[in-house]
Amino acid sequence: MAEGDGAGGLPGGTSWEDEEPVSPEGGGGLREAEPAALTRRRPETKPPGEPALVEEPPSPALTVSESMEPSQTGWGYWGSWGKSLLSTASATVATVGQGISNVIEKAETSLGIPSPSDISSEASDAAEGSQSPGESATHRINDGSSSPISGALGVLSTISTAVQSTGKSVITGGLDALEFIGKKTMDVIAEGDPGFKKTKGLMHRTSTLSQVLREAKEKEEQQTATEVTMATEKKAHYGLLFDEFQGLSHLEALEMLSRESESKVKSVLHALSGAESDALKMELEQLKEVFSLAEFCDDDEEEKKGDEEFTKDITELFSELRVSTRPDKLSAARRSAHEWIARLNAEPLKEEQRNEDAQQMGSSDAASDDKKSVEDIHAFAIRSLAELTAYSIELFHKTAALILHGQKQEMLAVDRAKALSQMTIVLCKELSSLSKDFTICLTTVGVKEKADVLNPLITGVFLEASNSASYIQDALQLLLPVLQISLIQTRTESSQQ
Amino acid sequence: AIWIYQFRLIVLGDSTVGKSCLLHRFTEGRFPGPLHCDPTVGVDFFSRLVEIEPGKRVKLQLWDTAGQERFRSITRSYYRNSVGGLLVFDITNRRSFEHVKDWLEEAKMHVQPFRIVFLLVGHKCDLVSQRQVTREEAEKLSSDCGMKYIETSAKDATNVEESFTILTRDIYELVKKGEISIQDGWDGVKSGFVPNVVHSSEEAVKPKRRCIC
Repeated sequence: MAEGDGAGGLPGGTSWEDEEPVSPEGGGGLREAEPAALTRRRPETKPPGEPALVEEPPSPALTVSESMEPSQTGWGYWGSWGKSLLSTASATVATVGQGISNVIEKAETSLGIPSPSDISSEASDAAEGSQSPGESATHRINDGSSSPISGALGVLSTISTAVQSTGKSVITGGLDALEFIGKKTMDVIAEGDPGFKKTKGLMHRTSTLSQVLREAKEKEEQQTATEVTMATEKKAHYGLLFDEFQGLSHLEALEMLSRESESKVKSVLHALSGAESDALKMELEQLKEVFSLAEFCDDDEEEKKGDEEFTKDITELFSELRVSTRPDKLSAARRSAHEWIARLNAEPLKEEQRNEDAQQMGSSDAASDDKKSVEDIHAFAIRSLAELTAYSIELFHKTAALILHGQKQEMLAVDRAKALSQMTIVLCKELSSLSKDFTICLTTVGVKEKADVLNPLITGVFLEASNSASYIQDALQLLLPVLQISLIQTRTESSQQ
Repeated sequence: AIWIYQFRLIVLGDSTVGKSCLLHRFTEGRFPGPLHCDPTVGVDFFSRLVEIEPGKRVKLQLWDTAGQERFRSITRSYYRNSVGGLLVFDITNRRSFEHVKDWLEEAKMHVQPFRIVFLLVGHKCDLVSQRQVTREEAEKLSSDCGMKYIETSAKDATNVEESFTILTRDIYELVKKGEISIQDGWDGVKSGFVPNVVHSSEEAVKPKRRCIC
């Protein structure tokens, strides 16, 4: 908190306080119903005099105490990422790992959101109600033991259920509130993150998601390069891994296509007469509505889907798009992540047996090979999230390229928009359930670990899962101008006939 | 994974000359085989580290472009930020060789005002019996255009490593001589991160990192 205050050393106090009375409706929530895009752009409501001079960076790494206490509460609505409209900026800061909990807290207190304790009590109510099979394992352990572990488990159940259920409590406030949060978060983050601020000056129109991410990655690289422990450190650096899987490059490529399309749409609208332009705008607006991901709020019941379900869903949705690319890489990556988890979960059962075996055979390497530490699990979790996200972005990029330059298909843009939105939902849900599985692994394996070792790892997984979902949702929004162009093309073709 | 420079290289050439296979071989050490022969959509991305001198590594960002005409508008936008390129033709496909000049023309048009170092690659050299382009004529063309020439095969891994290393070394020499320099707003060459000690040369290389905007 103190750190945040330091960073917010702006003249005339921090602006988020000043803006507090602004109601969501007044905040322009209705004007733009396209949440992720809105949060990506710099809020226009910001006074122009807001200087970019604050250069004192918050300490790059979160200390344990910093990270745990606020985020335990902060997860309340931060954890609603499944349906979240949180901004790119929030994701970026998280990637860099800078003072995010402060930011959350600041944003929270300035917003009058349901207090964290409300949310977490709600969440724990929910936790009692809905027990997934995986969790019963952890509870079994919980029953038999005392304080240090239950601390960790407390966090876990709060967090994990928050991810699924707290969304509701926030979402009841409606989309406007979320948009409002997005804006607020952007502002608050801008105050807490000098790197972001640096870009902000240049930003307005020029800033893009990949740019922000690239900066974050470069910072990470610099940080890591100075550390001698590079090789091990790198394992769990989301930004570096995301780049390694070429996520950043595909994102940039997608942005490029998106920008080109956007300016084409503009020039088309410009060339039309008033009435024609209005008619077209109406149609374009419909596409936008499909992209608002309203369904996130609706089907909330978490049915534990079968393993094959995801692959089937994604493949079907992809064939609905009628583009000549397949989600093979994504499905394969996801499968291997789940297989890894399954292998890990199977282990504790074999453990005693193995110990006997090891004694008999004297084979120590078998044990050391299979035995995963919590750090291993964390590293693999982060890696998997980065991989899945990168491949999702790649798919979106390829889809955009094919919509624009592929063979002509008798396919309405609005139907493609629906399929893409649905796909985004499936992907985000998958990331949610995957991160939950990983944290269950962490709690199970890390049963003997101290809370201050385990908790940051768990938080880290959820945080990056949340970021991943933000990236995917932002990438979806980048497809909107591409679909708009496709709509315009179909229109002109049919009018020519 | 520490490198002194990052180079962006583009891979160009007609459709089906084997650009993607070349990159798969180079970055993953495997030949994708006939099951993975979907034509590239737009661009694809690869990366790898190359050791040019003992202890000195360069990170290559590799842009694999679609050879198909319909993606040309996408691939064009990638010339500008490349410092080097592999211009690939298929030695068993005469037309792909004849198109080399067109590719060069196109690249020159779009790369300005920057400079791009090309290497001419005669690919699929394992298919000796189907050869339609002789080594001599390829060498002549390459020297006419101021490039080096190399024959490769992704299938049996002939000269794949070499082709990328040669190009990387050539660019590295130009960078060292100052003929190619790091510039703001151009991503062809970037300096990497050196551990522990930050050398003064590296600092000089990026003076505008902390501008107050």
